[in-house]
Amino acid sequence: MSATTATAEPFAPAPEPVRRGRAATLARATLGQSRAKVGLVIFVLILVIVIFGPLFAPHSPTEFVAAPNSGSSSHALFGADSLGRDVWSRFLYGGRSILGLALAATIIGVGLGLVIGLSAAYLGGLVDEVLMRIADVFMAFPQIVLALLLVSAFGPKLWLIVLTVGISHAPRVARVIRGAAQQLVERDFVKAAEAVGEPRRRVIFGELLPNVTSPLMVETGLRLTYSIGLIAAISFLGLGIQPPHADWGLMINENRLSLIVQPWGVMLPVIAIALLTISTGLMTDSYARVVIGIDRGE
Amino acid sequence: MSKFLIRRIIFGILTLFLVSIVVFAATQALPGNAARAILGRSATPERVAALTAQLHLNQSVASQYGHWLGGVLSGNLGISAATQQSVAHLIAGRLANSAFLVLVAAIVALPLSIGLGVWMAVKRDRPADHVLSMTTLVLAALPEFVIGIVLVVLLATNVAHVFPAVSLVPPGEHAWDEPSVVVLPAATLVIAVTPYISRIMRASMVEVLESDYVTMARLKGLSNRVVIWRHAVPNAIVPAIQVSALQLAYMAGGVVVIEFVFSYPGMGAQLVDSVANRDVPVVQALTIIIAAVYVILNLLADLATILVTPRLRTAGR
Amino acid sequence: MSEDSFREQLEQPLTRRQVLHGALVGGATISAGGLLSACGGSISPAVLVPPPIEPIKAGGSVRIGATGGGSKDVIDAHLPAVDPDIMRNWNLYESLATRPANFGPLQMLLAESIEPEKGSAKTWTVKLKPGLEFHNGKSVTADDVIFSINRIIDPKNPKVGATSIGYIDTAKMKKLDNLTIRIPLKFPNATFPDDIGQYFNAIVPVGYDPNKPVGTGAFMYESFTPGQQSVFKRFPNYWEHPKPYVDQLTIIDFTDDTARVNALLGGEVDAIDNLPTGVIAELQGNKALRVLVSETGEWQPFTMRVDKSPFNDVRVRQAFRLMVNRPQMIEQVLLRQGRLANDMYSPYDPAYAASLPQRHQDLEQAKSLLKAAGHEGLAVELVTGPIFQGVQAAAQVFAQQASAAGVKVAIRQVDTTTFYGPNYLGWTFAQDFWATRQYLPQVAQGSLPSSPFNETHWADPTFIKLIQQARAQLDESKRNEILLHAQTIEYERGGYIIPYFSDQVDAYSTKLTGFEPAKSGFPLGNYWFKNVGYKA
Repeated sequence: MSATTATAEPFAPAPEPVRRGRAATLARATLGQSRAKVGLVIFVLILVIVIFGPLFAPHSPTEFVAAPNSGSSSHALFGADSLGRDVWSRFLYGGRSILGLALAATIIGVGLGLVIGLSAAYLGGLVDEVLMRIADVFMAFPQIVLALLLVSAFGPKLWLIVLTVGISHAPRVARVIRGAAQQLVERDFVKAAEAVGEPRRRVIFGELLPNVTSPLMVETGLRLTYSIGLIAAISFLGLGIQPPHADWGLMINENRLSLIVQPWGVMLPVIAIALLTISTGLMTDSYARVVIGIDRGE
Repeated sequence: MSKFLIRRIIFGILTLFLVSIVVFAATQALPGNAARAILGRSATPERVAALTAQLHLNQSVASQYGHWLGGVLSGNLGISAATQQSVAHLIAGRLANSAFLVLVAAIVALPLSIGLGVWMAVKRDRPADHVLSMTTLVLAALPEFVIGIVLVVLLATNVAHVFPAVSLVPPGEHAWDEPSVVVLPAATLVIAVTPYISRIMRASMVEVLESDYVTMARLKGLSNRVVIWRHAVPNAIVPAIQVSALQLAYMAGGVVVIEFVFSYPGMGAQLVDSVANRDVPVVQALTIIIAAVYVILNLLADLATILVTPRLRTAGR
Repeated sequence: MSEDSFREQLEQPLTRRQVLHGALVGGATISAGGLLSACGGSISPAVLVPPPIEPIKAGGSVRIGATGGGSKDVIDAHLPAVDPDIMRNWNLYESLATRPANFGPLQMLLAESIEPEKGSAKTWTVKLKPGLEFHNGKSVTADDVIFSINRIIDPKNPKVGATSIGYIDTAKMKKLDNLTIRIPLKFPNATFPDDIGQYFNAIVPVGYDPNKPVGTGAFMYESFTPGQQSVFKRFPNYWEHPKPYVDQLTIIDFTDDTARVNALLGGEVDAIDNLPTGVIAELQGNKALRVLVSETGEWQPFTMRVDKSPFNDVRVRQAFRLMVNRPQMIEQVLLRQGRLANDMYSPYDPAYAASLPQRHQDLEQAKSLLKAAGHEGLAVELVTGPIFQGVQAAAQVFAQQASAAGVKVAIRQVDTTTFYGPNYLGWTFAQDFWATRQYLPQVAQGSLPSSPFNETHWADPTFIKLIQQARAQLDESKRNEILLHAQTIEYERGGYIIPYFSDQVDAYSTKLTGFEPAKSGFPLGNYWFKNVGYKA
């Protein structure tokens, strides 16, 4: 999964000032598409597993229930993992951490990127130049290298992983938002707000922000997808969530040696992560299609 | 145009300089040093002290960095702390191997994904588009190491023995002397990056195909092929170029995991090794090279964008 | 299980039947853990049947996949650190003597004899075999032995072995004739032959240059690329004729376990060491491969610092030892590829205190000890890392077992360089790994205040006195009596938790033959590829 890159989705939405109810219209139009419906159903399903899964787990995620790598039995539906713990129970418990971390990282990354992007676009000139060059420096940094260094240096702290992933998203989001906002800055409604003497902060967050929600939505979906992939990769390299905690990324790493003997320890989390990614992909896809006003009549 | 170039190059160099400071600071925060990494389990205080002195690791941080920067400016990447070989000598072969891997992957992935994107756009909303669209979405959702492991199981160990499971390259030789070792890692990279570029290409192609401009061309009675390849693709390709540059840069930095899975003797594997060994000069050199690849590819992508967009070509920037 | 049967199993090779029924440690004990019945016994451990003896032919080239390695790999005879280094060492160089594969009495290599002088363990005479040759054609003499010992102990640049033979009084070493050396020690030590025979104390020629490595081993240096591979060719004048059988030996580094296994499955290498337990079952089903299982005296202890809270209270240490369900640990971590241990090391030493009762999990006793020590609801941090196969898994199993006694164990996983970083030998609660050793040499490495790797900070005055007495005692039965006392002290108050002795599991292509199980814990039959060749 190419978790690290992704600039803007190329289709910058048509910049028209926000109208009341447009968001609701967009949401309805988005959900009108069958692919969006499928995406939403999958997403909710995974979310239900993640939130309520532990309630239905037959075992504790850390207790030993069978011989290591043993196959499916009445005792362990999907067999046992490399230490003899119930794969199914660990799977049911294992979504919370990865999803929680990914969400946190996405919120930080998108939030930070939004502020930087809007400020750069609105303030322009030197501020714009400086902010964008700093963003360049961060983008030149290979994400996985940054994670490797920071986590090796300060230990696998959860906040550090969230921050690393979030910060590495920020410049990429900033670029997209800046691009979208730049086209708005010269428009009448912004000029009008300035003329009335609204403070800059109000102009940025009151006037510009509502008009970049479309690329913002697309970015949020994309970044969530990439966060999940990146956090799973960090766990895979052994730098993420620490054992014996049940976590999908960690499960893949712990059980990948016995993939042939006992595939479920790897397959369940891979399938879940893949479905999660696909569902967010389907939804952002549909949303993007609606926003650019084509493909609507699917 | 030349003003734009000069400005970008200056900023590029500044970027690399800042990256080097950040990396150096991060390596200083790593617990343990190269001497301890080398000694491992036999790190008794006497042996650590002897080796730390021997490796000049007891100099101040600032002087270590100054020493390193001075070396780089005079074209010397320094001496690896772990091996006492020159860094340039140590990474040259690995760099070439990684470059070859990325090149092979790019040569396959770029035309493939552009082609797929165009095809999906032309067949929009027909079964072929839906199938491909879903397939690429699924592939994009699979972690690379899973793709790699599955390819090994299918083509190298358990199902069929077509390609080598691990990419062993005898020292002194290069990956291209033994091209079969590149197949599986390159295939993994291709599968990892193709979905993204092709989806971008599809999206922008759909947009262009809807435009008045293409409708006009069709009305003029031009053949479908001419309309698509002469008129639509050049207009739709800009976003794909930008994304391709990023994907190439990503490959350069992100081969870490793939090289790990295949034991491919490239710079990604070297980077993991050097971080573990606290081999600061090697970590520095490799990060700077990866960052430089990013800066250069970005610059090239912008140039290419200018060249295929007539409007920008004359306007400058 | 009775002590006798345990002892018996330690000393005699198990029959296939015993292994299948008794799972190495006595079926009754394991079932008592209630685990086997729960699992339905769906796996059985790889069996300790020695590989068949097959006719061997000369010639051919063998490629071995080694675990780990990286750009810090070395080929210096006296600086081996990681697995590929040690593998190179055993084939390129040789020491004076070594323990054979069955860990029986010392087997002479370059030495013809190593004898104490005048019935005192304070001065030793080493006599070399006549007619030995280095790879460059130079003959092996007393000067080379003196040069090698000085190079190892060099105070300005101490090598790996400096800690094992640092007690040699180097200034007074004397060449008696071309093949005989007198070696005086700073204190009497009956186990000198074992210490000088460690693989990292190899004999190199005077003026040895690690860039042009020359030794007496069965294979000669051809090329070496750190982190990738090294190539060796047959040494035609090797003293143990007609060995070695193969013309060329290639040792290849693999950082990733999966890649190493895949290389064997894909035929890119002919043998690999340290087979991950998870794939043993898969490889046993493969007709083209053979799994080599060696019962060993290797141990991977949990190390409690006896001078730091909470472990400075002996009751806490005792409680921790009682929290461990050893059979379950063998089951979950080793997939039964191991044997029960009793918090003591050196099982092949005739002095091993097998008469002490086997310790079992006793949560009630553990809880009451902790309560008495004022440590109810104790929380500790266990530092672990990828330092040895299975230790991280063992840490997880321990944490789970401890939770049943109300102790919260937080696992802190670090990378190896951090593990061996500034806190190394100072962690309050961590893990370590040790190869098979006899008792006194092991004590010298880890259980005395003067030991280089005393990770538990063990410094018991009575224990120290007993060890000094034992070292000076050349009479074996008297010495073993003293050592029984010493071991009893460690058994009752020591800082190690030693749940098991792990098996060594490797694998090779059935095209090859000559590998034999080695109790030393060194993979692929002591790494002795001189015994290996293609089937005739």
